[in-house]
Amino acid sequence: MKRVFVVLMLAVSLVVLAACGSDEQFDLENETEFVVGLEAAYAPFNWSTPTENDFTYPLHAQNGVYVDGYDVVIAQQIADELGLTLVVKAIEWDGLILALLAGEIDMIIAGMSPTAERAETVAFSDEYFRSEQVMVVATDGDYADATSLADFNGARVVAQLGTLQDALIAQLTGATRLEPLDTYGMLATAVSTNAADAFIAELPVAQGMVASNSNLTIIQFTEGNGFVVSDEDVAVAVALRQEDINLLEAVNGVLASISIEQRNAIMQAALNRQPNA
Amino acid sequence: MMILASLPPKDEFLSTMWYLVETYSSFFIRGVVITLLLSVVGTAGGFILSLFLTVLRTQEIDQRRDRLGSRIIKRIGRGFAKTYITVFRGTPMIVQAMIFYYGISPLRLSWWTPLVAGLTVVTLNTTAYIAEVIRSGINGIDKGQMEAARSLGFSRRDAMFLIVFPQAIKHSLPSIANEFIVNLKDTAVLSVIGVFDLFRATSSATSSNFRIVEGFFIAAIIYLILTYITGKVVQKLDVLLEKKEVKANA
Repeated sequence: MKRVFVVLMLAVSLVVLAACGSDEQFDLENETEFVVGLEAAYAPFNWSTPTENDFTYPLHAQNGVYVDGYDVVIAQQIADELGLTLVVKAIEWDGLILALLAGEIDMIIAGMSPTAERAETVAFSDEYFRSEQVMVVATDGDYADATSLADFNGARVVAQLGTLQDALIAQLTGATRLEPLDTYGMLATAVSTNAADAFIAELPVAQGMVASNSNLTIIQFTEGNGFVVSDEDVAVAVALRQEDINLLEAVNGVLASISIEQRNAIMQAALNRQPNA
Repeated sequence: MMILASLPPKDEFLSTMWYLVETYSSFFIRGVVITLLLSVVGTAGGFILSLFLTVLRTQEIDQRRDRLGSRIIKRIGRGFAKTYITVFRGTPMIVQAMIFYYGISPLRLSWWTPLVAGLTVVTLNTTAYIAEVIRSGINGIDKGQMEAARSLGFSRRDAMFLIVFPQAIKHSLPSIANEFIVNLKDTAVLSVIGVFDLFRATSSATSSNFRIVEGFFIAAIIYLILTYITGKVVQKLDVLLEKKEVKANA
């Protein structure tokens, strides 16, 4: 009985101990594995698939589950250039930064915008993709003909929890902000089922959704009529721990070698691999 | 068999379900296996650990005979068991999963995967619930049995282990089996830390086509089949125990 108690006490103290992480940098010379985290549910940046192809990568500790998408291709390139073995873990969106800080992963590559708020806790690389923010609405709904932000007066708008898009709803005067949801699949479903009128998404994400869901349509704003966003908000970057300065430099070096044309081609190819209907 | 090569249009509910089952069958199978694994390990492990907890909790302090040392140890043991049960029954499993998984991750143990964390959490959680079930089982045993055993010369410990516990556990079996059914459903929350259970398998199967309602309709059917079958088994178990009881009394 006493022994059981001691073992349990030990487990508790381990948990407490775990709270004090190490401050050492990622060792580029000696580390062999490069662990990246993504949602595996944010197509075309990253999604899960049971079939292997030239672009997919197996998920860590989950036989038979692969991840595909823009992020996976970029992560593979970074790992190759750094001479490290890529390990990909699927983590819920709102657990990603937590996992990075806990040392569970070394890098987040998940279509994340390098907002000032997030930059307080993590270090961001240079951007690795740039797009625009658009609205997704029902094809046969009241907002299908919208052309400006003002047209969304009275609309019920939803976004993913803890995202830039959720903050952008405030720019839609007269719109109601619904409680944010966990995944983009839920956002598409909310609009499809009329639980919401619209959601905000990055253009490639919206394109992938519309391709597989013909009842949804994209509202793209003309110059000057769209959201007011800062420069870093329309970009996506990979996130690292702030102490990993060497790794940040190395990652930026690799990203700089991928031209904008190459990026757009990789994204288009990822969109083409998503199912259409 | 109809083979659907590509995703059907949005409004074709049934053929979309069929497409998902076909394209993502390996996900669904894996999800079912992991959900069953979590429930079996969680319930079996929880049962074993709950016995230790029950022993700790039902210790009685004899003010005259127990020496100071053993009195303190007993008191700590009881306090631990009570606190454990209060904490694990008083917090949601999804919260426990977050704390355990990310609390231990910084140690960078290679075997600390979401699945291991999930198995740990469901086991620790079920332990608390089964300990409560067994405790009420013990309360249900007539006090006269203990008194009779003691008057026949059994020590308190022997009476507990040989007479009270076996009966209490037997009476608790249906409730313990019920915990298994609860686990089948409740382990869905472990997908929050990345356990590839049936819930997450379904999320993954819809991660590039966004047909959530169709996907989770499939998940609901699978969960229902699993719980229905185990429910039937529990019923059989109930009847079986009752029959034995009647025979024993006759």
